[in-house]
Amino acid sequence: MVKKNQVALPINLEEALNRIGGDEAFLKELLEIYRDEFINLSQQLEKAIELKNYSMIAENGHTLKGASANLSLPALREAAWEMEMAGKNQDLEAARKALTALKKEFHRLEKFLSEKNKN
Amino acid sequence: MKAKIREQRIPGVEKEQAKKYPVLLAEDDPVSLRLLEKKLKDWGYRVFKARNGKKAWELLKTARVRIAILDWMMPALEGPELCSRLRQIRKPHYTYLILLTARNTSLDIVQGLEAGADDYMTKPINLMELQARLKAAHRIIELEENLLKTQKKLQKLATTDSLTGAWNRRTVLEFLREELNRYRRGGPPFGLLMIDLDHFKNINDQYGHQAGDIVLKQLVQLIKINLRNYDRVGRYGGDELLILLPGSDVYHTGLVAARLLSLAKETKIRINQRLQLGLTMSIGGTSADSISKPKPETIVQTADRALYLAKKLGRYRVILFGDSVKLPVEEEDHG
Repeated sequence: MVKKNQVALPINLEEALNRIGGDEAFLKELLEIYRDEFINLSQQLEKAIELKNYSMIAENGHTLKGASANLSLPALREAAWEMEMAGKNQDLEAARKALTALKKEFHRLEKFLSEKNKN
Repeated sequence: MKAKIREQRIPGVEKEQAKKYPVLLAEDDPVSLRLLEKKLKDWGYRVFKARNGKKAWELLKTARVRIAILDWMMPALEGPELCSRLRQIRKPHYTYLILLTARNTSLDIVQGLEAGADDYMTKPINLMELQARLKAAHRIIELEENLLKTQKKLQKLATTDSLTGAWNRRTVLEFLREELNRYRRGGPPFGLLMIDLDHFKNINDQYGHQAGDIVLKQLVQLIKINLRNYDRVGRYGGDELLILLPGSDVYHTGLVAARLLSLAKETKIRINQRLQLGLTMSIGGTSADSISKPKPETIVQTADRALYLAKKLGRYRVILFGDSVKLPVEEEDHG
């Protein structure tokens, strides 16, 4: 169960660390991979939305959902799931909304992590 | 309180075992890929990576992958398709397949298992569960390895002579029948030699049966390395050998026999540090093209009679028989 004060956080650190045996350096490495992948996938998503390529929207949404789940990023996972669904339902408006949500949540994650590093 | 998921510590023995089973990791999400790669390596596995189905297929076909962890959804080729493709080709070893899926409806599970997967896991991966499932994979792979080993052993026991390693009588006669069938359908002729050691009984009497065994063993080795690898050397009985020469007509059969005759004479057989024995042999032979209506029994009988004559005429010689030779005992032939 997730504690109440953790729901709002962009990352469930305890769960993420637990999954990899408490190795903080490795979590940092994985987050860096996630960062690169997010930038890459969100660019592709933008292009996919522009081209109305729904299968590409669904596929990239799916990949991002998996990556987010692995690192216990609940809000990003949720937005990625919305993206995947938008692709499957061929709903361009929902896809645009999901992309905005993804970018917002990603920004929140970056801010959270950099603040955490300062401390 | 939530129970903490802790990985089990890996004993050295299990790491050694893990080393034997290289793992293919096929996953398009780089985070999962890196996460699983690191953990698998920590556990002692050699890891091959693929970020799409196509690359995964190449690795599955060629590399000596024993366990494959395949993501269900991948660009180009999806997990279940990889499973069914792999099950259609013949690999020398079984590859244990684990499908990863974000879905978990029972229909998907059925679809995955029917495609040929051995197991499936839902994402995100629980590492402790993965470890346990890999152990199950080890058990299956070991079972399969033991089965193959036993099969091979039994096959060998059933077809070879345990002392000399030559084919046993039943098997070499089986080869003879196959060769004859081929010949009857218009295939090439073949020769058959029956070899008997001269005065073998004396060796046993004088130096003991162990010495006799060594002589037989080394003689078979000597003959084997001097024949083509598709010639068949069999032990017919006590000190009698039967040699099948595929593709040899009567002339070639005679040449081979003569070569073996002098080879044996020139070779000293080493029994122990102090004792070396020289020996000779008698050879009777025939070939499919020198018998008008060859049957397995007639061919063996003809070689046997030729050998008998070789012995009778004073040993250490080759005699070949065919149809034109009047045999001492008339055959009962209805044709």
